[in-house]
Amino acid sequence: MQQALDVVVNSFLAAGLYATMAYGLAVIYGVMRIINLAHAGIMMLGAYTTFTLFTHFSIDPFLSIVVVVPLFFAGGVALYRTVVRRLPRSGSTPSMESLLLLFGVWLVLQNLAYVLWSGDTQSILTSYTLKSVSLLGVRVGVPSLGVFGMSALSLLVLEFVLHRTYLGKAIRAVTQNRDAALLSGVDADRISAVAFGVGTAFAGLAGTLLSTLFAFTPDFGRSFLLKAFCIIVLGGLESVTGVAAGAFVLALLENVTAAYTAVPTSLQDALSFTLLVVTLVVLPQGLPGLSRLAHVRRRG
Amino acid sequence: MSLLSVESLDVSYGNVQAVWDVSFRVEAGEILTLVGANGAGKTTLLKTVAGLLAPRRGRILFDGRDLVDRPAHTRTSDGLVLVPEARQLWPGMTVLENLEMGAWGKRARAESARTLAEVFAMFPVLEERHAQKAGTLSGGEQQMCAIGRGLMARPRLLLLDEPALGLSPRLVREVFASLSAIRKAGVTVLLVEQNVAHALALADHACVLETGRVTLAGRAQDLAGDPRVREEFLGVSGV
Repeated sequence: MQQALDVVVNSFLAAGLYATMAYGLAVIYGVMRIINLAHAGIMMLGAYTTFTLFTHFSIDPFLSIVVVVPLFFAGGVALYRTVVRRLPRSGSTPSMESLLLLFGVWLVLQNLAYVLWSGDTQSILTSYTLKSVSLLGVRVGVPSLGVFGMSALSLLVLEFVLHRTYLGKAIRAVTQNRDAALLSGVDADRISAVAFGVGTAFAGLAGTLLSTLFAFTPDFGRSFLLKAFCIIVLGGLESVTGVAAGAFVLALLENVTAAYTAVPTSLQDALSFTLLVVTLVVLPQGLPGLSRLAHVRRRG
Repeated sequence: MSLLSVESLDVSYGNVQAVWDVSFRVEAGEILTLVGANGAGKTTLLKTVAGLLAPRRGRILFDGRDLVDRPAHTRTSDGLVLVPEARQLWPGMTVLENLEMGAWGKRARAESARTLAEVFAMFPVLEERHAQKAGTLSGGEQQMCAIGRGLMARPRLLLLDEPALGLSPRLVREVFASLSAIRKAGVTVLLVEQNVAHALALADHACVLETGRVTLAGRAQDLAGDPRVREEFLGVSGV
């Protein structure tokens, strides 16, 4: 019983972070039909930015969010305006050019990090890094709690923006039907710039949060990119709720496997990849497809 | 001066030319209908006027101003609004959100509360279903929502691409009745329709489009009596 509770609590905590990570990828794909392969590099850069703010200016990692988020938003908008918008529009599937371009951006970011911070493994050690508290009888690290709180907050803000503001509705409109958005007078190029900024800011935020939990090098982020892909396939692009649900399913699978089976944690990446493949085969529309299916069954 | 004047328009998809040297005018306050068979280039023409496609040659004058280099979204705020083929609603957004987003432009947004009341008066079913996701509406309701969304932009010229497609005869009548009401409210209408009989009965002027060219143009009433139109589109054989 206690072990089951452990698994559930830990899954919840991990899911928050995963959702934040995945949403950055989802918003860019949704609006532009571009897979941001540089996502991992941006997360890595977020981690190093927080690291630098912590070591040079003694700014608390969680406090560094107020710097990282606007900085990365601006960086994302700049990247869109200078490079990404020049890509040919490819319709409903990502173009080869966009994959190559953003993979290139990732390599540039990686090498930039090698120059700036060297290839040594870094980590952030605060006064609370190793502290833990008891939650429903489960020992939980203080950083994990902070990470969950920030993730949940960011997703709530996002949900509010997407559903309650004109700008957010325009982002959803371009995601669901770009031509219809243009015909209603929405400047899809401007919305794309904003979406790229939001996606980049979320990646930067995820990087900051990750840096409080893990050690990192310039190669950091790859396995998290894979998890983010898996979550999007599971949860769909339409809603924050879908992304959160996908994130929870992945986190639960990881924690259950770690707690109840002999599968070594070194195979965790293989786990998310397996889930990705199984989802594509069994449930190509992801979890939203599941609810539609149930709906049809009820009617029929 | 005509509200819309299309002059010598050529439009191609890659190397395939779909519209050949098409010219027509829409006068303020009228309903003009473009009729023609499937593949005649009607949708291509509307998309080009709305800015979703770029012409290879020709001019599109709206209120005397050439629109060819204006991007699609700015044409909407100028008052030229397309209700596209197959509705193209945002299925995951509510009816109300679809309508609100129609009033995106500054001018339209300032008047959105009043326009919304007008749209709800014209299509009461949209008010009943305002909280429902647009993707769950029936075909006729979706069409009303699409027309409503177009009206929310406060158009001076409303372009409609086959609004009656796939609707039951009762709903077709309802949609056509709403078009008369829209014209009475002072909006000029450019209607593309395969339902030639209905379109000619409603419109003031008409153009017949065949394989990308205008082959007949004139008063709708005259065209309805033209033996070529009667044979080709109205299923009545000649003398």
